[in-house]
Amino acid sequence: MAAVHRRTTRAAWGFLTPFLVLFAATFLLPIGYAIYESLHKNSLSGPLGLGGSHTVFAGLSNYSRALGDAAFLASVRRVLLYAVVQVPVMILLAVALALLLDTVSARAVRFFRATYFMPYGVPGVIASILWGFLYTPGTSPVLALAGHAGLHPDLLGGGSVLWSIANIVTWEFAGYNMLVVTAQLQAIPGDLYEAARTDGASAWQIARRVKLPLLRPAIVLTTVFTIIGTLQLFAEPLILKPVSTGISNDYTPNLSAYNSAFANNDYYLASAKAVLLAVAAFVLSFGFLRLVGRRGGASR
Amino acid sequence: MSAPSLARPRSKDGGPVRQPRSRRRRGDDSTPASRVTVVGLCAVAAVYFLLPVYWLIVASTKSTAQLFGSSGLWLSRPQWFANMRHVFSYDHGIYLRWVVNSLVYAGAGAAVATLLSAMAGYALAKYHFRGREAVFNVVLGGVLIPGTALALPLYLLAAKVSLVNSYWAVLIPSVVSPFGVYLCRIYAEASVPDELIESARIDGAGEARIFRTVALRIMTPALVTVFLFQFVGIWNNYFLPLVMLSNPKLYPITLGLTSWQSFQDRQPELYQLVVGGAFVSVLPLMAAMVVLQRFWRTGLTQGSVKG
Amino acid sequence: MHNTCGWLRFGRRMIWLACLTALVLSVAACSGSGDGNSATKPGQKIDMTFWSWVPGIDQAVALWNKENPNIHVTLQKIPSGSSGGYAKMHAALKAGNAPDLAQVEYQEIPGFLMGSNLIDLSQYGAGKYQSRFTPWQWKEGVFGGKVYAIPQASGPMGFFYRADLFAKAGISRPPATWAEYEQDAIKIHQSNPTEYIGTFPPGNSAWFTALAWQAGANWFGTSGDTWTVHIDTPVTEKVATYWDRLRTEHVIKTEPDFADGWYKDLQTGAIAGWVSAQWGDAIITGNAPGTSGMWKVAPLPQWTAGGTDSANWGGSSTAVLKGAKHPQQALQFATWLNSDPQSIALLIKGGYGWPAATSGYVGSSLDQPSPFFSGQKYNDVFADSDQHINESWTWIPTTDQAYQHLNDGFSAAVNGKGSFLESVKAAQGQVVDDLKSAGFKVSTAQ
Repeated sequence: MAAVHRRTTRAAWGFLTPFLVLFAATFLLPIGYAIYESLHKNSLSGPLGLGGSHTVFAGLSNYSRALGDAAFLASVRRVLLYAVVQVPVMILLAVALALLLDTVSARAVRFFRATYFMPYGVPGVIASILWGFLYTPGTSPVLALAGHAGLHPDLLGGGSVLWSIANIVTWEFAGYNMLVVTAQLQAIPGDLYEAARTDGASAWQIARRVKLPLLRPAIVLTTVFTIIGTLQLFAEPLILKPVSTGISNDYTPNLSAYNSAFANNDYYLASAKAVLLAVAAFVLSFGFLRLVGRRGGASR
Repeated sequence: MSAPSLARPRSKDGGPVRQPRSRRRRGDDSTPASRVTVVGLCAVAAVYFLLPVYWLIVASTKSTAQLFGSSGLWLSRPQWFANMRHVFSYDHGIYLRWVVNSLVYAGAGAAVATLLSAMAGYALAKYHFRGREAVFNVVLGGVLIPGTALALPLYLLAAKVSLVNSYWAVLIPSVVSPFGVYLCRIYAEASVPDELIESARIDGAGEARIFRTVALRIMTPALVTVFLFQFVGIWNNYFLPLVMLSNPKLYPITLGLTSWQSFQDRQPELYQLVVGGAFVSVLPLMAAMVVLQRFWRTGLTQGSVKG
Repeated sequence: MHNTCGWLRFGRRMIWLACLTALVLSVAACSGSGDGNSATKPGQKIDMTFWSWVPGIDQAVALWNKENPNIHVTLQKIPSGSSGGYAKMHAALKAGNAPDLAQVEYQEIPGFLMGSNLIDLSQYGAGKYQSRFTPWQWKEGVFGGKVYAIPQASGPMGFFYRADLFAKAGISRPPATWAEYEQDAIKIHQSNPTEYIGTFPPGNSAWFTALAWQAGANWFGTSGDTWTVHIDTPVTEKVATYWDRLRTEHVIKTEPDFADGWYKDLQTGAIAGWVSAQWGDAIITGNAPGTSGMWKVAPLPQWTAGGTDSANWGGSSTAVLKGAKHPQQALQFATWLNSDPQSIALLIKGGYGWPAATSGYVGSSLDQPSPFFSGQKYNDVFADSDQHINESWTWIPTTDQAYQHLNDGFSAAVNGKGSFLESVKAAQGQVVDDLKSAGFKVSTAQ
């Protein structure tokens, strides 16, 4: 028995090792390295400081610089504001689409579902290029139509561009999230509906009282992924930046870190920002899971 | 509402099986009026999702001048074939190379990622050993860390071992999918029966062989999902190749198109190429999404159940 | 038991495979980086990599390769510096796999010097080529008596305008002063509310910087071992206040330049003029081909009537990056590229800007009347402009960040928060902080 156990344990680690080695190399090591880099800085020498440079220990000064940088803090606030709006909108839309499709006839369902899901196959970069054209006065047929109606919305200005970005992200991922919800919906036993209908419940009541509560796990999953996706916001603002007056180099924490590293050559500050971003993502999504976990436990 | 209940709908060949009732309309004692409302809402949503695609199709037929000079909703002096030829011939046909690169990154990356995830997920589901939950929790933590936060330190590390600006710089990080491991574990737990493994052991099969012949086959639906998930993830990824690559010959399509975009102020004809290139890159993947969408459902349910 | 061995063998094979892969990779990596200064034997073929985004430069490189079969240059086109090109260079330098040569704009040279990322070319005899280039442009690549870059092209400024639209608004001649420019802006917008004299690009503060330069500002300098910063001076504030006024009067646009909407405006005449540099001709002719024959070029409007002050917007050099294996040959190529008449002719055709080589203009294809610009020999304006650039202007190692601060401030102003003037005032402190946190000594004393 012990021999068998030893054998299976060895096999288990054998199965795990290739993944774990690469996981360590691409997840744990970079995080460790980022932490290490974030604790250092460049020291300059020579006339005018152009003579050369070497790395010295910096303590937590990069973190205090990042957290004392108004632009970086503004980017964090911006992304949080964005998340507060984007996450519920995305989830509501996904659930609404899934519920709507659940009541339409089978042939139409396939067409609609495919249509909604299609944008998921469009890379964020390309989606941003497309929507960029649709946001720009002069090239956008939508704005041209609005213009005929006397409307001249500025979709790329400082006040609106964040929501223009939110629209791109919604367009890309709403269909995908809808599919997750749909999958859950189809796992609900049919007898539940029969029972509800016998009790005289309307379609709307069934959706609200029977389907919605059972969709919780799918909604939790999509919410967590939407939160993580929100914090990653990068490609969309980067692509829209040249056509918008509202997007700064520090528009999102991710852009800010990228900019520190590659435009300003300050890899140490960039590392501190990356670490802060990772910690924030971890805390937020883990906090959310704990929150729903506890509440779910209490209600059961 | 438990994982095993979901393991039920599985055909012998391991492919996804629709539950019969999912074909039926459910919860509907609806009036014609409410049905019209529902279809109407669905149609409005469809217009929203299709509009940019429609614009892209129309725009891909236009010259740069027409792109700016004509309405985006209608054809104007279409020259689709000339545009496509231009896309594929510009700069010695670099675009085709980008397409191939994207396929290599996404295809090879997703294939290896699927295999690694299957092995790890199976081990975490079906073996009892010390440290199992610790390992799983660390991997779960990996799901929660944004990939873009890792890209920067990954770049610095890759620089130290001289891997930047190579296929490996993009491929190696792409083969690690904590979410894939998570999905595979949930699925294996629910669908690979312990008795089957035990009887295979009694028949004298080794662990590797059991995995290959028994587990992999049963886990196929989940593996398809992991593969697709990872494929799309790599295909759509921008940040990692952006920081890792500087040689245009190694670019995936996303990076290639943005590099064209950055030249277009000096070379206006690139406007057309960006639009045409976007068109070419988007259509096949969107078609694949439509064809393959049913595969997403089975595996994703597994993930959401535990979520 | 037998099967356990099977598994073990499988595992062992995996480990071997991993080791083998690592070995192959490390060998591949090592073969890539050679000794820093290997001498080249005569007749031995060498290969150098060159990163640039200049249109038409591929033809000049091809010509070089034809004439110099033993010193082959491989051109890699990268996105222009500000749209990611420099990010790539810095990344490659950090990673130790930078190209031998690269396109570096004048304002970026000190930034590259910060990490000793450029090779001192004077040790390879660069000094003897000085006479081939316009003095102020040569100086852009010289720090502490050492030569770090060979100048390629500059952007002497002028005013492109739609003569037809000006006439329609009742304006008979281009604005000679900024006061006239303001009046013309009002006239044009009043005669047709959809038309503007131009745009203030909030996200492109290099443009504003050039206009401050013209007005006589001298933002940056060095004093002994210390960098000096003087952005919030009365001269700069005068320029900022001027554009603030035009903005609040709504007689100029505030859309980004080099963007889809702006190109559309160039084509439709929604903007009737562009304060720009000589290389702007290629942008206009390329993006608004339908407006041929309607444009003219005038000297920059002046702050004092009768003045001739000019400025430079965008200027570029060829630099040899740290780690280059053949700096001697790289210098040879860079000098040829930027001063050989045949090469210059090819670069001019691509629209690379104003030649840094003294022999570049006269007799070249620039030195001709242009039907696009109403038959005007418009480059005479820029030839004159090039003679009147304040040559004492210098840059700092954190120029990019300084631009970013201004971009952010200007964009906020355009979106209703603050003003251009406040942005300029704030930039002074921000730039000082940038330099300090990068480790430099900074002074703001006059």
